[in-house]
Amino acid sequence: MYHFLLTSRYLTSRIIPLLAIAAVALCVALVIVVVSVMTGFLDMIKDSGRTLMGDVMISYPVSGIPWYDDLIEEVEAMPEVVAAAPMVETIGVLRMPYPRGAVKEPKMVQIWGVDPERFAKVTTFGETLMWPEVPESARYQVSHDEAYGPIIDTFDRTQRIAILRASDWEDTEGMSDSQVADMGSALTQPEWYEHMRHLMLDKGDTLPRILRDDQRLDMQKVIELEQAGRLPIDLDVLAEGLSMSRNGRPGIVAGIHVSDANYRDSNGEYQIGGNGHWWLPRYEGALTTIPVDATGGTLEPETVLMPFVNEFSSGVFAVDEIRVMIPLGTAQRMMHLDAAEIVDEFDPMKVVGVEPARATMILVRGQDDIDPLDLRELVRAAYQRFTDKMIETQPGSVSPPIEGINPSLRILTWEEQNAAFIGPVEKERALMRTLFSIVYVVCAALVLAIFWAIVYEKTRDIGILRSIGASRPGIVWIFLLYGLVVGIIGAVIGLGLGWLITANVNGIHDLLAQPPGWLAWSLAAVTVITLLWTFLKLFTGRILPVMLGLMISILLGLLTALVFILDAQGGVVIWDPAVYYFSEVPNSIDLPAAIITMIGAVIFSLVGAAIPAARAADVDPVKALRYE
Amino acid sequence: MSDQGKVGVPLLEAVDLHKTYRMGSVDVPVLQGSSMKLDPGEWVAVLGASGSGKSTLLHLLGGLDTPDPKGGEVMYKGRTISTLTRGARNRYRNREVGLVFQFYHLLPELNVLENTLLPGLVGSGIRADRDRARELLSTFGLDHRLTHRPRELSGGERQRVAIARALLNKPEVLLADEPTGNLDEDTGSEILELLKKEHQAGLSIVMVTHDRAIAELADRVVVLHHGRVDQDQSLSIQ
Repeated sequence: MYHFLLTSRYLTSRIIPLLAIAAVALCVALVIVVVSVMTGFLDMIKDSGRTLMGDVMISYPVSGIPWYDDLIEEVEAMPEVVAAAPMVETIGVLRMPYPRGAVKEPKMVQIWGVDPERFAKVTTFGETLMWPEVPESARYQVSHDEAYGPIIDTFDRTQRIAILRASDWEDTEGMSDSQVADMGSALTQPEWYEHMRHLMLDKGDTLPRILRDDQRLDMQKVIELEQAGRLPIDLDVLAEGLSMSRNGRPGIVAGIHVSDANYRDSNGEYQIGGNGHWWLPRYEGALTTIPVDATGGTLEPETVLMPFVNEFSSGVFAVDEIRVMIPLGTAQRMMHLDAAEIVDEFDPMKVVGVEPARATMILVRGQDDIDPLDLRELVRAAYQRFTDKMIETQPGSVSPPIEGINPSLRILTWEEQNAAFIGPVEKERALMRTLFSIVYVVCAALVLAIFWAIVYEKTRDIGILRSIGASRPGIVWIFLLYGLVVGIIGAVIGLGLGWLITANVNGIHDLLAQPPGWLAWSLAAVTVITLLWTFLKLFTGRILPVMLGLMISILLGLLTALVFILDAQGGVVIWDPAVYYFSEVPNSIDLPAAIITMIGAVIFSLVGAAIPAARAADVDPVKALRYE
Repeated sequence: MSDQGKVGVPLLEAVDLHKTYRMGSVDVPVLQGSSMKLDPGEWVAVLGASGSGKSTLLHLLGGLDTPDPKGGEVMYKGRTISTLTRGARNRYRNREVGLVFQFYHLLPELNVLENTLLPGLVGSGIRADRDRARELLSTFGLDHRLTHRPRELSGGERQRVAIARALLNKPEVLLADEPTGNLDEDTGSEILELLKKEHQAGLSIVMVTHDRAIAELADRVVVLHHGRVDQDQSLSIQ
């Protein structure tokens, strides 16, 4: 078995095969990283369906499904179902609390009216809530709101007009009292607190004439406390748990990117704009929707002023920038989908029945081990039982939409619901796989070139082996075995390298985003050492070490410069959540793809080795032995 | 090839060998009708100047190359070598003859023992006779060099390893191409002494050389001149 002996010796005693192994390893690592990130991306999209919407949804947009609690009862009775939750989905305009002044920014939003407790059982809503407590950067402002708020709430209309006229913040010259009052009512509470503070501090002489004595004394106390740095901080700003209300008022939980005040820094952490000034849960927003009547026509817009009670970060940018959650009851009222009495056409005082509340969507979460498609069929059957029961028990009343008759009623899995979104990503991954298969050809070409050189170098050895009786297939087998071993070792190293890069891809990304100072300086030090070494080698009179040293120095120098530039510019964000939907780079390795890649690399290494091996077998031993 | 010892049949015989090499577009005739024979247990020296075709003759005898079509034949124990199958020719090179070259031709990646074992590994395919290799190397005074690489050895040591390799599979014939051509006189003498011992032990040898003094150590000298055998003289003639 001289093949194994020679292969192992050729591998361990030369540098060229190490180059071949490195080439294979790099090719394998490249494909593994790219395919893993793509697969991870696809998986995240698919997973996000579950975490955002559950597994299966029954939807009947706009009009909604009546008696949805009966439906949920029917669905939840199945052992395959973990939970089901009602939801009202619509679109609307949210008047944001910023910028300062009377003109505020309106935002198009997708409104999800949910029952938070039930919604959190179907989705991971509870885990996505952003602010478990008031962030440090917003505490100062919040404490002010807390201190001044109760006093300002006691001001009457005349006082408010007088305050606005006295303050030089807004130009009130030539405005009528009612105009000033309108302007005042457009201000957010925190803006009022700001006004008051400034007025008390800058124009202390004006205020006593506007305020009542008790108000002035209270104000004086708060200012003294503030100046002594002892402002009470009773930070009851956030909604408790999942309640979605503050002090009994329904509140908004907005996606983290709905507010322009939140931005993501290069570390991937969320920061609040303007030193906590626009930390949303301090403010209120006005939400406007247009309800639709039974005929499909629109009614008068409904507007509700609600405090922001929290923000959520689902990780899917497209969701986080547009979705706001409000309590189900509020959404139903705004969309006229709440329970209502039906009155006699001719005698409005006579109640003839009750119109049940409706939900436009029922979200269903299945057990972990059930296939979404199977679950969909179970839910479909449950829906059928529900409609049969309703038609039986509520004859002559409103009937729930029936599948096949009401075309907009849909029972779909998350993937079906979002096919338009998932499809392109799946296609993209297939395209990536195809494109990166070219890497195999590169791999084969590299192995071919390197082995060609090895065979050339080993011509004499081939002659010797032939002279002692080695057969031509025997010679072929030496180089094929060699290629096989190079392919296998390269593939295994490539897997390790690919795994290392993929597993640490977020760390690498962060490193790029904010390269640490020590990295730049140590790179600079290594560059200098390499340059010194190169300089010393100048005296040996040999060109190769000098050339190598120069090239490595230049490479290191460029790398150092790049790190310094990155450092100076505050890093780069390659994985921008605004572009990639998710705030994290997927970092789990796609093992099946990795194994296929490894097998591919081994096969193509063999293909690359086969041609030089054939050439080796064709070496004329007589000519080969003349080499010396 | 087991028909050993047929009475009257030479061990190895070249019959009217012609060999032409093509250099670019020119045909260069190297052998133009050379004949010689080697009897069992005989040592024949092939003497010739550089370019006389003596190495080519040796390659043809060793089955490394084939004569021109209709250019004569090489007979081993009465059987034609050039018409054997490839596999049979490989076995012939592996078992029946041993080749030794001027430039030793050891594999640089293998140590002394492994180089010596190589014909065994190539031939049997599984396990070579390590004891035989050790014994040979010990006889040649190399037992302290077993794990050394060829580059760590002197020229004489390398050539002794090459001879040990050639003898591993106990061939009938040793074909040596200028075995002392690259060695100083003293070392060369050592090698020749070694060959002499093996010859006395029954080994048949064909040795190519350009040195008349070395050729005269053989039982018989064949002189090659421009691809033709000029004389076939026995040692006693000198």
